[in-house]
Amino acid sequence: MNTDKEKLLQLKGVSVQYGGVHALDTVSVSLDEGEVVALMGPNGAGKSTILKAIFGLAPLHTGRVLWYERPFTPVPHEVVRNGIAFVPQGRRVFTTLSVEENLEIGGYGIRDEKELKKRIESVMDMFPALKQKRKTLSGTLSGGQQQMLAIARGLMIDPKVLLLDEPSLGLAPKVVKEVFKKIAEINKNRKTAIMIVEHNIQSLLSVAHRGYVLDKGRIVAEDEAEKLTSSGILERVFTGRL
Amino acid sequence: MDIIPQIIANSIIAGSVYTLIAVSFNLIYGATKFFNITHGVMTAIGAYAVFFFGKQMGLSVWVAVLIGVLIAGMIGWLLDRFIYRPLREKKASQLALLVASLGAFTVLQALIAIIFTSRFQTLTHGVGVQKTFEIAGGIITQTQVLIVIAALVVTAGLMFFLKCTRFGKAVRAVSDDNEVSKIIGINTDRIIGIIFFIGSAIAGLAGILVGFDTAIEPTMGLVLLLKGVIAAIVGGIGSIYGGAIGALLLGFVENFGIIKIASEWKDAIAFGLLILFLIFRPRGIVRT
Repeated sequence: MNTDKEKLLQLKGVSVQYGGVHALDTVSVSLDEGEVVALMGPNGAGKSTILKAIFGLAPLHTGRVLWYERPFTPVPHEVVRNGIAFVPQGRRVFTTLSVEENLEIGGYGIRDEKELKKRIESVMDMFPALKQKRKTLSGTLSGGQQQMLAIARGLMIDPKVLLLDEPSLGLAPKVVKEVFKKIAEINKNRKTAIMIVEHNIQSLLSVAHRGYVLDKGRIVAEDEAEKLTSSGILERVFTGRL
Repeated sequence: MDIIPQIIANSIIAGSVYTLIAVSFNLIYGATKFFNITHGVMTAIGAYAVFFFGKQMGLSVWVAVLIGVLIAGMIGWLLDRFIYRPLREKKASQLALLVASLGAFTVLQALIAIIFTSRFQTLTHGVGVQKTFEIAGGIITQTQVLIVIAALVVTAGLMFFLKCTRFGKAVRAVSDDNEVSKIIGINTDRIIGIIFFIGSAIAGLAGILVGFDTAIEPTMGLVLLLKGVIAAIVGGIGSIYGGAIGALLLGFVENFGIIKIASEWKDAIAFGLLILFLIFRPRGIVRT
């Protein structure tokens, strides 16, 4: 899948250190147009740090981030302007803002009011549960609804790339299924490339085309999702038998 | 009982001054989550700018007031740009920011004293020239009317700005979660810089109005800051509406508290109110 399409987003030889400890050690990952890439591994493997490094939220010790093969210095508002949206772990909607205001702020860079309203309606159409609660303070929504809102807020910039960090965290199995259904829909209908960090491997591999397995800040395997499942690498990494 | 209308008037006037400090302090605190001590000295900067441009340079009062407000706002913005923002980028602790703001407060206050001396100064050209009004038995001067109007306009304006404008919503987003605001593409440093400008300009306006009402001195900012912060905490730290409510309550409690006792107890009453709230309602009246 990643050979003949243009490389959309790449991390090349990226290292990130926190207080002298390697969170990432010369890691290289890539994401192609329309692709869903999974980042897997045990806690502390560095999965979320990859997403943060793309956004400039984790300082690069070495390496580069490339957008359409061109290096760029990750600064959050510049990254968003490029068309990359990030849905952080733990949902983190703006709890003191209404559902509609969260979406409006999600499209903060859109200057044309009409276009902004159009985007809000388009995103609301994708998430009917949010439409019914547009004036509700988002802090009062259920966990599942907050997760949907966090994803919807990310879609407000009509991103080329969507970075999702643990979208199923703390959600009931039924809601997790719904969330992954939406993720698959976003990829299929909007052709949005998605890089996703997730512990729920079963749900993750149901939507991912390709995946990376990380352990202690390094990539230990990279392959198509199905091959990773059958290779047994995931069991070995998660049980510490690598 | 003839004294009651005057005490009510005094309470509203004091509450209005505290409102200007509290809402602007809360605006900055909401976005930055740090205790900005320099906010106090902005009152003196605004007042002394009017003293210089209005009284010493002879510019018209309104032009001098406008310049005073803009200078206070600009110095607030500069402090953020060259002290607080670099500290935030270095992930400095809230304590480090607090100490830095204490340092900046001391330097700015000392500079004012060096340039203008520590003597009391007046912004008006004479004593007793102000027009007064009698409202329901209470006497209120022209400047005091302006203080009340300014408090109402600033509070209502800020609430409208935060609720109804896109920039205001972005400010609320930054106050809610700074990191996520960055993630969704808001230039949070720019927003915080503008917030410092607006908040400091309002503090400058408060200092100017107090200067016209009474007098100015380089240390005037400390007392105003303390009262404004008490009002902010009592009302609800970080909330504009809460700050205004807390300020009004503080004004009434202070002024009614000294009906039967010496007015020297005013500050003790204010701090007593603060302690009561910290023990029994630490999140303030509006529970932020």
